[in-house]
Amino acid sequence: MHPSLTETPALSRRGLLKFSLGATAFLATAGVGASLSGCSSSVPANGFAALRNGDLLFLRALIPVMLDGAVAVETMPAAIDGTLKSLDASLDHLSPEMLKLTRQLFDVLGLAVTRGPLTGIWGSWENASPEAMRHFLERWENSSLSLLRMGHSSLQQMVMMAWYTRAESWAHCGYPGPPTV
Amino acid sequence: MPVPDPFREGLARGWKTYNGAQLTDDLTLEADVAIIGSGAGGGTTAEILSAAGYKVLLIEEGPLKTSSDFKLLEDQAYSSLYQEGIGRMSKDGAITILQGRAVGGTTLVNWTSSFRTPQPTLEHWAKEHNVKGHSPAEMAPWFEKMEQRLGIAPWRVPPNANNDVIRKGCEQLGYSWHVIPRNVRGCWNLGYCGMGCPTNAKQSMMVTTIPATLEKGGELLYLARAEKLTINGDKVTGLQCVAMDERCVEPTGRTITVKARHYVLAGGGINSPALLLRSDAPDPHQRLGKRTFLHPVNMSAGRFDEVINPFYGAPQSIYSDHFQWKDGTTGPMAFKLEVPPLHPALAATLLGGFGQENARHMADLPRTHAMLALLRDGFHQDSQGGSVELRGDGSPVLDYQVSPYAWDGLRRAFHVMAEIQFAGGAKAVMPMHADARYVNSLAEARTLIDGLSLELYRTRLGSAHVMGGCAMGEDPKSAVTDSLGRHHQLRNLSIHDGSLFPTSIGANPQLSVYGLTAQLATSLGERLRNP
Repeated sequence: MHPSLTETPALSRRGLLKFSLGATAFLATAGVGASLSGCSSSVPANGFAALRNGDLLFLRALIPVMLDGAVAVETMPAAIDGTLKSLDASLDHLSPEMLKLTRQLFDVLGLAVTRGPLTGIWGSWENASPEAMRHFLERWENSSLSLLRMGHSSLQQMVMMAWYTRAESWAHCGYPGPPTV
Repeated sequence: MPVPDPFREGLARGWKTYNGAQLTDDLTLEADVAIIGSGAGGGTTAEILSAAGYKVLLIEEGPLKTSSDFKLLEDQAYSSLYQEGIGRMSKDGAITILQGRAVGGTTLVNWTSSFRTPQPTLEHWAKEHNVKGHSPAEMAPWFEKMEQRLGIAPWRVPPNANNDVIRKGCEQLGYSWHVIPRNVRGCWNLGYCGMGCPTNAKQSMMVTTIPATLEKGGELLYLARAEKLTINGDKVTGLQCVAMDERCVEPTGRTITVKARHYVLAGGGINSPALLLRSDAPDPHQRLGKRTFLHPVNMSAGRFDEVINPFYGAPQSIYSDHFQWKDGTTGPMAFKLEVPPLHPALAATLLGGFGQENARHMADLPRTHAMLALLRDGFHQDSQGGSVELRGDGSPVLDYQVSPYAWDGLRRAFHVMAEIQFAGGAKAVMPMHADARYVNSLAEARTLIDGLSLELYRTRLGSAHVMGGCAMGEDPKSAVTDSLGRHHQLRNLSIHDGSLFPTSIGANPQLSVYGLTAQLATSLGERLRNP
């Protein structure tokens, strides 16, 4: 029985190695190697257990695009905060290996030197338009690199799962919530 | 009146348990039999051996959660009751693997479907994998014993609307369908089996065999990861465990040393072979972790005019095996048809897409049904399963490739599911694939499915049944244990779990694990008495 349910990140070790090789060129050019070699910051942002400041910048740009249509404009800021809280809690319970892979995905998205070439978004995430975000997601979904297709699938599942575990999301999907026992 | 919580009452009466997370010092525990893993295999073995008078120690990596803890919320359940905080997946990230990790193992979170090992599967094992003593006739009394123990019977309540689609569609098309036997007593028909049963109706190990073991003076150690067996020649001389924090994420630094006369490995597929790999156990023919099977699952959504409410009611009550054996045991990849429950978070990931597209799918959730096909892997030479490997930190990961043979089965399953869904009243059907959309007729569905590029990531794949990796069989060249679960090279180590299966089962495997391990544990109990 059962479903493909993945709230989590899905960079495989092998996929990641492949990717790291591809990314080496960018990293070498810029003289940065810290992130992909595992030396990036692992300090959580203030008020979070797993998400780091850089992750939050990216996710705050991603979440409203993902939840467009399911959340009214006026409640979007609260929905973003709630989704981040839920996502943070689930990352905090992941196995260390899966958390590491998730952070590597965020590192690739966070470092300007890899972000531009791989996502087409050359400026900072705060300034990325929703159109540019959708374009980046479509590009990853249809990329010839399996690693980017995997990254797309991870981002979709992480965000959607985080939002729809929250009671404030249930009115939209007609779920009355669990019964009282 | 609140639902009683018999496990907590037992603890209050003095059951002997150790919480790894709360250990302030290292600990040494001794027992006649140390059982690693508290799911279907470990629980069944523990009850039988403790009833036979042995001092049993059950060791579980996950937390102890009882009915009062189950709040029917997806986030809490997924992060606390599943392996790797539900992050477990195949090595390439393409197949999500749902396995329980808590006292009771997967029996705590499975959907209660309970099938005897199909006759063709048992016959195939005897013929192709040199398995002795497990013929349908020899297994029947063990299945019957466990059916009685766990209240397993065909579900008597009418199926929920989600399951009823299989019945209606199959009747319309002349395909066979049946009612699923479930391991429940006094079930409230709520629909939250995957998040822990809040009423103790599900006869999981947490409410049956483990309480019986503790009542007999057995002991339970939880939040303790079995790290390594100490091996000297052909003998296991000890087990090293690391205490885990309350989240079951990081070791606390405390260790537990276990000494026993006999060791039973019951961590299930992936975890059992991984412990042997970490322990450098003898593996002269490189069989450890090989031929690990998943019953890969694909799914199809159907949209109805009427309300389905796929989140309520017994999650699985109707199945069809119409396509399971029609080409024999070893023909093109065959499948069993069932349904998954759709709670919002799970549904949002399965229905796919984001933004407006996903929002539309989710707005339709109450009128959405989903069907799944569970593919029978391991019976054909082009279906060799995956291999368990160790990551840098010693934790296991399964490398599982989807062969062209399997993709062919997945495509046929998409066709059959769409056909049954339309026949069962669906107004629109959508295979769960990134390039699919809802289509309004079977003809359109056929064209769509034939045109889908079936590949990893675009096709949503999952598994809830990990089987194999420590295959049983009389020939040490092809099996890790003999047909009694005795390790071929280590004389005081047995394996009692789904990792023994030489192929997948072809049905939800819990009753296969119960029946087999009841047989093996009974035999082990006799051997321990007359060494």
